[in-house]
Amino acid sequence: MRWLRPIGALALVAAFGLLLAACGSSGGSSSSTSSESSVPTVAGFKSPTNEKLSCVTKGGTLNVLQENDFEHLDPGIAYYSTDYMVVFATQRPLYSNKPNTASEPTADMAAGPPEISSNNEEIKIKIREGVHFSPPVNREVTSEDVAYAIDRGANPNVANPYFQSYFSAIEGAEKATGGPIPGVKTPNKHELVIKLDQPQGQIVADALVLPLTAAVPKEYAEKFDKNKPSNYGSYQVATGPYMLKNNAEGKVLGIGYIPGKSATLIRNPNWKASTDYRPACLNEINIKIGGTGTVLAEQVLNSTNDVLAEGVPSSVLKTAATQHKEQLELSPGGGMHYIGVNNKVGPFKNEDLRKAFWAALNKEALNKLAGGKLVTINATHWIYPTISGFEQAGGLKGPSGVDYNEHPEGDQKLAEEYVKKAGYPSGKYTGGEQISIVAANGPPAKERAEVINETLKNLGFNTKLSLEETATMYGKYCNVPKEEITVCPSVGWIADFADAQTVLNITFNGKYINATGNVNWSQANNPEINAAMDKAVTISGRSARATAWAEADKKIVEHALAIPIEWDNQPNLEGTGVNGVGQLWNIGSWDYAWTSLK
Amino acid sequence: MSTTGAQEIAQPDEALEYLELGEAGVTARSPLALFWRRIRKDRVAMVSLGFVILLILVAIFAPLIVSILGLPGPYKQDLKLLGPFGEPTGPTSANPLGVDNLGRDILSRVIYGSRVSLMVGLIGAFIATTIGVTVGLMAGFYRGWTDTLISRAMDVILSIPLLLLGLGVGAACSVKGCLGGLIEPGMPVIIFLIAFGAWPFVARIVRGLVLSMREREFVEASRALGASDARIMFREILPNLTAPIIVYASLLIPTAIGIEAALSFLGIGIRPPTASWGQMIADATPIFSSAWWYFTFPGLALLLTVLAFNLLGDGLQDALSPRNAR
Repeated sequence: MRWLRPIGALALVAAFGLLLAACGSSGGSSSSTSSESSVPTVAGFKSPTNEKLSCVTKGGTLNVLQENDFEHLDPGIAYYSTDYMVVFATQRPLYSNKPNTASEPTADMAAGPPEISSNNEEIKIKIREGVHFSPPVNREVTSEDVAYAIDRGANPNVANPYFQSYFSAIEGAEKATGGPIPGVKTPNKHELVIKLDQPQGQIVADALVLPLTAAVPKEYAEKFDKNKPSNYGSYQVATGPYMLKNNAEGKVLGIGYIPGKSATLIRNPNWKASTDYRPACLNEINIKIGGTGTVLAEQVLNSTNDVLAEGVPSSVLKTAATQHKEQLELSPGGGMHYIGVNNKVGPFKNEDLRKAFWAALNKEALNKLAGGKLVTINATHWIYPTISGFEQAGGLKGPSGVDYNEHPEGDQKLAEEYVKKAGYPSGKYTGGEQISIVAANGPPAKERAEVINETLKNLGFNTKLSLEETATMYGKYCNVPKEEITVCPSVGWIADFADAQTVLNITFNGKYINATGNVNWSQANNPEINAAMDKAVTISGRSARATAWAEADKKIVEHALAIPIEWDNQPNLEGTGVNGVGQLWNIGSWDYAWTSLK
Repeated sequence: MSTTGAQEIAQPDEALEYLELGEAGVTARSPLALFWRRIRKDRVAMVSLGFVILLILVAIFAPLIVSILGLPGPYKQDLKLLGPFGEPTGPTSANPLGVDNLGRDILSRVIYGSRVSLMVGLIGAFIATTIGVTVGLMAGFYRGWTDTLISRAMDVILSIPLLLLGLGVGAACSVKGCLGGLIEPGMPVIIFLIAFGAWPFVARIVRGLVLSMREREFVEASRALGASDARIMFREILPNLTAPIIVYASLLIPTAIGIEAALSFLGIGIRPPTASWGQMIADATPIFSSAWWYFTFPGLALLLTVLAFNLLGDGLQDALSPRNAR
């Protein structure tokens, strides 16, 4: 099965243009279509869809100011947007996205699109010739290096976070522990064949954009992979246009990457532009780690060759948008935020009470707290812009006929009607049960949590609000079902790639409720929806999958399994001398392989 | 001032202070009158006292004051008062000190925040003083093993960094509490932390004073008359420590208020939506450049309160121990 053809994309763009014209705009900014289908952009601001992708100048050093440290730079482990900024500049997965696309990957380490068999159980990929590892390995990349990279996903010392989600359908993957996976075959040096034991060829092929598929030289890496945990990341080699600075032995740690302090990317001397679609304009990228977001943002606004690695704090956004407009880029498809409401324990087991909560919520106010219309779009369902199925799921307005989804400013009267339907004739909850709300303590999550707390109190709930560090909120409370937290109002999700399965399946399918690390925050377990999603997993063809997952999305809305708040536009800041290019995928972060200096 | 010993007069002109000419001739002024006479002359202390009294009245009558001023309540969110980027709006006639990042009136929250600060400051200082005085009395009076054990315990407690302890308690006991929900972040824990951390300071001072006083003649006399240890400690020695205790307690109050503000700033103090000056300052810090009022007014309130108590404490010290003032 082939990728979505250009003519299909144009049709979607035209349809979406009509849809947006009907929606209109407000607040001094307006949404418009772009070359990428279903992508609302903000008029008057740069976005990945309208940026200049060619180098303005070649060479120079980019300074990156980054508040938070990396989590993992090993391509087999990295799963964080900030990590991806470096990983996708230094590594070449089988497929990757140009900055202005999210749903049409380009062959990267692969020489062409994947060939998926008619029964959806085999994928064949040709490996590009002439791509070499960086020093000290230097040799040409072969199919065995890609196979080893995928094998690493099952190695407990590597502990890849998404291997089970997307690659467990490979023959032998369920039992693999780091050794060769039987279903990953290399008939020759430039061919890779992946055999599946389930008809999931499309989703596995789509998942080949993930950095796990970036080639890793076995003879060099396996000694590091024997360590628990693997320290290959501290000695990694590159296949992309850049590499982390290292010494003659390949050591990166303490040289190209000093945890908590800095990272330095230099040109990979073995990279050939003729084998790559990226321009790689810069000579060097210096990343300084640490500091406070607000201070770093102010620094970038007044700089020449600096960029801010992470999003713009809301306290600086107004200044940036009104006084430094040319330095601000807004990237749609930056993921979404929503409220997880416990479907299993507590009053929100009752669907009508969930609907009441949704109806009462002033989502416009919540989005204002996050920076307003420039950086938020009121979310009416879960498949967000840039993800296949967005329009089929209802587009900007959401599925029709859902009254609690039609008043983003909140409708207390409607909410009380639903409370009555839930069995409380006064229109206020009188059950007495105290509900726990655990939210993140940084802005705007903290402010949003207080608004949500008041909303619930106005519906009669007895609430207890706790604010925690984000990592604690997730790791100790919201990701742990046995803590029985009633409301997790600060959860967010970014798709792993542009297939809606990556947005909905693991977050709403009842079979993915885990004892720890659980991301089905609502503990949703609706048999009808589970079955719809299980069926959608096996469907092949982009269009058919988009339709199937859109149906699942509609059902999630109709049962109010959780409450969507916003779809994010990621704001990025650059210095006056930078032609920053953001990624439409990966929450809109800067793409170092496309950015240049002016 | 001793209740049993003669008052010590160092200079001839001091004698006049203690005497008052009434209808019955020259009589001695009472200790309270002496105290009031001295502190009345200290303008700084009087202004500070006035401020503290005003603060107490504001805290007690907060709902009435907010109502009279026509302000919204401290928990009333009005998100329409936020700008298009979610930024709070500044002072207006409806909101004289502006609004915070949830559209809540800052003046209203500053007024209600005085309750938190005063309660924590006064109760925390009271508990710390009570424990410190009792323990210090025992350590200084009994000496020997009692003194050794108590002094070492004080050393251990003094070496515990209070803010880190607070952070630890806050982190460990935040959502579900500890000890069956008995310990949860909030006012009780803050008061406990303040009392826990501050009593050794009081105890040390009291211990030192008791050590010097226990050898005095009036103690010997009481012992000779068959007074029990408790009587000697609490009826003979303690009244002589009143002045330094009052002074130190009054200086403990602003310290307690500052600690509460720091703990709330760190997110482990008073829980939202309760108004707390420290928490308001914490929320205001990231947006200071665009919402200076949100930081400034709670900050000023905190500054003036701590300053007033400190200056009042200094004034009390001068008034209760005039020799030291010279």
